[in-house]
Amino acid sequence: MVREAEPSLNEKQFVLRALKDGLRTDGRRPYDFRSIQISFLSEYGHVQIQLGRTRVTRVSAKVTAEVVRPRPDKPTEGLLLFNTEISPMASPAFEIGRPSEEEVLISRTIEKALRRSRAVDTEGLCIVAGEKVWSIRVDLHFFDHEGNLVDCASIAAITALLHFRRPDVTVIGEEVTIHPMDQRNPVPLSVHHIPICVSFSFFADGELLVVDPSIIEEQIREGDMTIAMNIHKEICALSKAGGIPLEMDQIIRCSKIATTKTAEITELIQKALADDKAQRQSK
Amino acid sequence: MKRSDGRTEPSQLRAFAASQSLLNRADGSAKFSFGESTVIASVVGPAEVKIRDEKMDEATVEVIVRPAVGFPSTKDKLLERALRQTVEPTILAGMMPRTLIQIVVQIVQEDGNMLSTAVNAISLAMLDAGLPMNSLAAAVSAIIDQEGNLLLDPNSKELENASSVHTFAFDNTTSYNLLLSHCIGTYSQEQYLDCLDACKHASERVHSFIRTAVEKRIEKEYQQLQSS
Repeated sequence: MVREAEPSLNEKQFVLRALKDGLRTDGRRPYDFRSIQISFLSEYGHVQIQLGRTRVTRVSAKVTAEVVRPRPDKPTEGLLLFNTEISPMASPAFEIGRPSEEEVLISRTIEKALRRSRAVDTEGLCIVAGEKVWSIRVDLHFFDHEGNLVDCASIAAITALLHFRRPDVTVIGEEVTIHPMDQRNPVPLSVHHIPICVSFSFFADGELLVVDPSIIEEQIREGDMTIAMNIHKEICALSKAGGIPLEMDQIIRCSKIATTKTAEITELIQKALADDKAQRQSK
Repeated sequence: MKRSDGRTEPSQLRAFAASQSLLNRADGSAKFSFGESTVIASVVGPAEVKIRDEKMDEATVEVIVRPAVGFPSTKDKLLERALRQTVEPTILAGMMPRTLIQIVVQIVQEDGNMLSTAVNAISLAMLDAGLPMNSLAAAVSAIIDQEGNLLLDPNSKELENASSVHTFAFDNTTSYNLLLSHCIGTYSQEQYLDCLDACKHASERVHSFIRTAVEKRIEKEYQQLQSS
């Protein structure tokens, strides 16, 4: 349907020439991340993340839990599901029911970074083996697309998972009691590590690179790469789907940048969580 | 009479809250809440329309509802249809032939009354987008509970105990026409008319709230323009 308007030749040249001088159109340096704003809504596990100040990429994540029967091949494991369908609210270029290549890539990257890296302990979600397990679902809502939806969505998803509390359960024999939130303190999920996605865009045959691309940079880039890393400097997922071939040195440089960015973002998330906790206790 | 969320009157509405122009990619956007029930609506248009949806003499209005949790279900499709039929008559679609007006409704938090919350959010978003309109829709819901009491703006707890649920939307012309009447359950003619009357009075309050919200925003923008 409506396609994203392509930047004009002049705009392209302007952005590229500025990049050669180490400048970006929004005033950042090439390795700068946009400012990240984390806000918690009234329910546990409902978080909104904003990247930037005026032209904002905005994603919210909502975590919910329900009790289901486990998969027959994994009777002791709970389920972790992600819903990353992007609505046309983010940008009219996204269509309902027909995911674009960009959308598929975003959801696969999130899935790999958070589920396949075993960030959440799924065995801890088991209530009665083979009978009852918790199914945790993360619904991501994309509100505004101003570039770099992946990083914004990954921060939203992991922050929401860290913030979420599920009702407490007691099992006596076959009897399972789920305690309502107001009767017994709800329990947090056990999260092993915090993977953070850091995206890069490459220009001028891979010589120039920027962190956290804006929408115009995404439109004119020659290649891109997303590294999901945790604070222990472990790469959880690395996605380089097409684009220009990169030198090995370049990839190593990117992963070094990702290490510092991950440390900064993790600290930010933990501070936001601690602030929210203090605020909730004082109420 | 005490209601489950602390309200004291059956005709008392929960606190309204609204914000406008909160998204940057959409042409117009707004958030509207009745207490905990919150909805964000965005409007894009007039934009390019798919050939199969194109109407030669007017704009095509499309409403998409996104639930807070999970994938859109039949319930959301029903909501889409009701919303489209409610807001379509308020848009001067004849002024924008062969174009698309796309409205996306994202449910943020559900606590009953979603249909009326969404109608009000869309009205504000359309105002924000600057669409040509002939009037403004505002909606309020009411229930008749098992004991036969009429309760306005029910929350989800009260909805469980409802014998019938009614949602009405009105425009703000001098004749205050009915745009939507959506009723579920069994009820008598008198009960229906009582609900209609109560919702009509309540939606006048919503209309005046929307008016103040828009006035305040324009005033603020004007002051910012003068100070810069």
